[in-house]
Amino acid sequence: MQMGFYFEQTRCTGCRACQVACKDWHDVPAGPENWMRVLYTEKGSFPDVFVSYMVSPCWHCVSPVCAEACPPSAITKRAADGIVTVDPETCLGKDECGAKCLKACPYDAPQFGPEQNARMRKCNFCLDRLEQGKVPNCVEACYTRALDAGPLEELREKYGSGQEAEGFSSSKRTKPAVIIKAKTA
Amino acid sequence: MNPPESDTGSDVRVVRTTSTYDCGGRCPIKLHVRDNQILRVEGDDAPEPHQLRTCLRCRAYKQYVHHPERFLYPQKRVGKRGEGKFERISWDEAYDIFIRELNRIKKTYGNEAILLATGGAYLASLHNGGLAASRLLNQYGGYVTHYGNISSEGAVWASLTQYGSVMVGHSREDMMNSRLIILWGWDPARMISGTNTMYHLIRAKENGARIIAIDPRYHDTAATVAHEWIPIYPGTDTAVMVAMANVMIKENLHDRQFLDTYTTGFDAFADYVLGKEDGVDKTPAWAAEISGVDAGVIDRLAREYAATKPAALMDCQGPARSAMGEQYNRCASTLCAMTGNVGRPGGSAGGGLMGIPVGHMFRMSAIPPGKNPFELDGPNVKGTLDIRLRVKKRIHVNTLWDAILEGKDGGYPSDVKMMWSMCNNYVNQIGNSNKADRALKQLEFIAVSELFPTATARYADLIFPVTSAAERNDFTRPWPSGPYFTVVNEAINPLGECKSDLEIASDLAERLGIEGFNPHSEEEWLKILFENNPEYTTHIDDYEAFRKKGVHRVDLPEPIVAFRDQIADPENNPFPTPSGKIEIYSRRAADLDNPACPPIPKYMPTAEDRFDSLAGQYPLQLITPHPRNRVHSELYLVPWLKETEEHRVWINTRDAKARGIEDRDEVLVCNERGTVSLPAFLTERIMPGVVAIFEGSWYQPDEKGVDRGACANTLTRDDYSGGGACVMNTSLVEIQKA
Repeated sequence: MQMGFYFEQTRCTGCRACQVACKDWHDVPAGPENWMRVLYTEKGSFPDVFVSYMVSPCWHCVSPVCAEACPPSAITKRAADGIVTVDPETCLGKDECGAKCLKACPYDAPQFGPEQNARMRKCNFCLDRLEQGKVPNCVEACYTRALDAGPLEELREKYGSGQEAEGFSSSKRTKPAVIIKAKTA
Repeated sequence: MNPPESDTGSDVRVVRTTSTYDCGGRCPIKLHVRDNQILRVEGDDAPEPHQLRTCLRCRAYKQYVHHPERFLYPQKRVGKRGEGKFERISWDEAYDIFIRELNRIKKTYGNEAILLATGGAYLASLHNGGLAASRLLNQYGGYVTHYGNISSEGAVWASLTQYGSVMVGHSREDMMNSRLIILWGWDPARMISGTNTMYHLIRAKENGARIIAIDPRYHDTAATVAHEWIPIYPGTDTAVMVAMANVMIKENLHDRQFLDTYTTGFDAFADYVLGKEDGVDKTPAWAAEISGVDAGVIDRLAREYAATKPAALMDCQGPARSAMGEQYNRCASTLCAMTGNVGRPGGSAGGGLMGIPVGHMFRMSAIPPGKNPFELDGPNVKGTLDIRLRVKKRIHVNTLWDAILEGKDGGYPSDVKMMWSMCNNYVNQIGNSNKADRALKQLEFIAVSELFPTATARYADLIFPVTSAAERNDFTRPWPSGPYFTVVNEAINPLGECKSDLEIASDLAERLGIEGFNPHSEEEWLKILFENNPEYTTHIDDYEAFRKKGVHRVDLPEPIVAFRDQIADPENNPFPTPSGKIEIYSRRAADLDNPACPPIPKYMPTAEDRFDSLAGQYPLQLITPHPRNRVHSELYLVPWLKETEEHRVWINTRDAKARGIEDRDEVLVCNERGTVSLPAFLTERIMPGVVAIFEGSWYQPDEKGVDRGACANTLTRDDYSGGGACVMNTSLVEIQKA
């Protein structure tokens, strides 16, 4: 089974409640380490403007190239649910290893704090919440209900199979676990 | 303390509560608490569709409550006034200083020299700082205070004039009944106009409603839901509305039967619109010159709005915070009547206040402040439309600094010598911050009750450290709408030596020898406040369960529609106006004999509009919208929120290029009132000729007087409109590279 996200781009106002809720739940300080980011796109010229936002957590790819790139194999794809996790104890650190996971990832999901030789951390699908039967905190936090999460197959049945959107391109190599309802001009 | 509820582990308590920011939502949240620390926040867990989902501001509640810069102990000033240098003192010393100064000022100058500055920073029933202080100072012999609220006076005046009521909103799910929604200066993606409002708007769009946004900015609400964006110059909304009326009248698209049945004075308005009054036919071409909106667009908009039923014209309060702001809300209401949309599901009444009479903050119970002896010989101002009466004994909030500087000689009610300030950050949040700096340096004594070293607190001689809502028990409500009631449950013990405003006032009363000031415990007060409020006792059977659950949701059998009864049965349900009808022409306004308050809604030129000769020197119009990552200036220091959006001035790429400005360049925005410094955000989302600085960033002048905090109000005017609106969106500025 593969867990995944659903993102209804047409509902996203770019508020970043998901980002703040993520930092709160995982106690990540303000700064460069953002397990959930929101990307901004503005196109066109006044008054014909197109604006969209794209959430960017870890997509828990079917083929996680970050794991392949990690020298000490600190990154694991869980067999039971496909969630990609990292063991910070095993991680060599950003400076020592050169952040090979981040370089490999097409979505900049691996994150590092500002400290010397920071260990990689990233979205873990809120595993602790999952065990309590709860959705990831970003999903609960979205007050326009633009996010959902669950088994990818179920999401596909519920929401279709959209995979392309402004600010996002589905990597055939890594196969990100996400369904998107894209916003179009 | 709230009974513990454990669902995450043995030593973690979960407290159901809400925050009390000056926000349009009061969303239920669950605080996870251990060792007097909030660990994390969860949202409401009610099943959909009843879930009241909180936004990013409350998601960062932990960093607000436990912020390292919070005042945890009483402080006295050690540097120069305004420098913000303090040292810790005991509560005894703090009270001694306060009482010594209070008594000295009273003895030397009289009670009227004491200015009490209150505000909306935390609005709840019991811990509503301003009320505790008013109660104390009323029993002490009186004080002078201010009238008017920064947000909405224009909308209040318009709604009272037109409808005789401020409850002009529909419950938000009623937008599902709309076929057309016009967002006229309304951006609920940023400004929480009631919990879930943006969600309901998105669902209305998904339900097939066509949505048009009229605004100088292509804001996030427009970007999310609008099918069409109509850019418009600030302060010109009324001109476009008048021209829409012109089209409707000439093409006979208006609902004559509705107007005959429910309104009075439409003919006088029509005379103005058609130019019979002043010889100027207010055509789309006339409005296009003023507003920058193409005449063909105005024409089409008028026809579309008149033909699509039901249609909700959603005006709000931002464009009304301007030099003739109430005209915009009055004219919007008039269009709502001309199209027969008032009192109809899926329609709207306009008026900009959006309130519904279930769970509205205006109907919240509160500790009784008593009467102010200083105001006893003043005019009766209840319900009056005459702002000149309201400023006989009070100071209009947006002229506080001028009143301090000019006093009675300047026509103000008193000569102010000291200020006690709480629940506000007026140095930052009313017009002309540099004038605040001058005024506050002139006072003999300033005490500020605060949580944070705000721009205003920096001017204090004495700081009383106040608890946050996480350290108190209370009832609270969102300001514009329920339909729900929320509870504040104490999650942690007061941090440091913080006290609630009521405790501070009670301690002071005891030292001043005022007897019977606070006869009840907190629990007794809460019970009294609950039992004395008919809304609570009507809707809620079980007080204890309400406290424990932290929220009571009211099930509405059908959406609340303002004036539904007046429209359904006008014989038995007159509007609460003198005529019993919607007053498009207001006799009460006419009786004011004030050209700034015409009896019918009108477009009028003002100082610092885009046609002012000052535009030669300062050619850009400044607007100051709500921030997304703060509630006004509250939460400004919270790192998780701060990093979600850099404080930058929005400027159209064309205007920027003409000034050699690139994206992210540091720029100076200036006019005769001041200069702020901040980075530029080059965007196509704001019309050329207009720039936007989001309000609430903290004023921080450097040694040369340049505001490095880039507070929007360093540039705004300390003035008010005929209807009492704070003039926050009528300022001309110029921008240059720093």
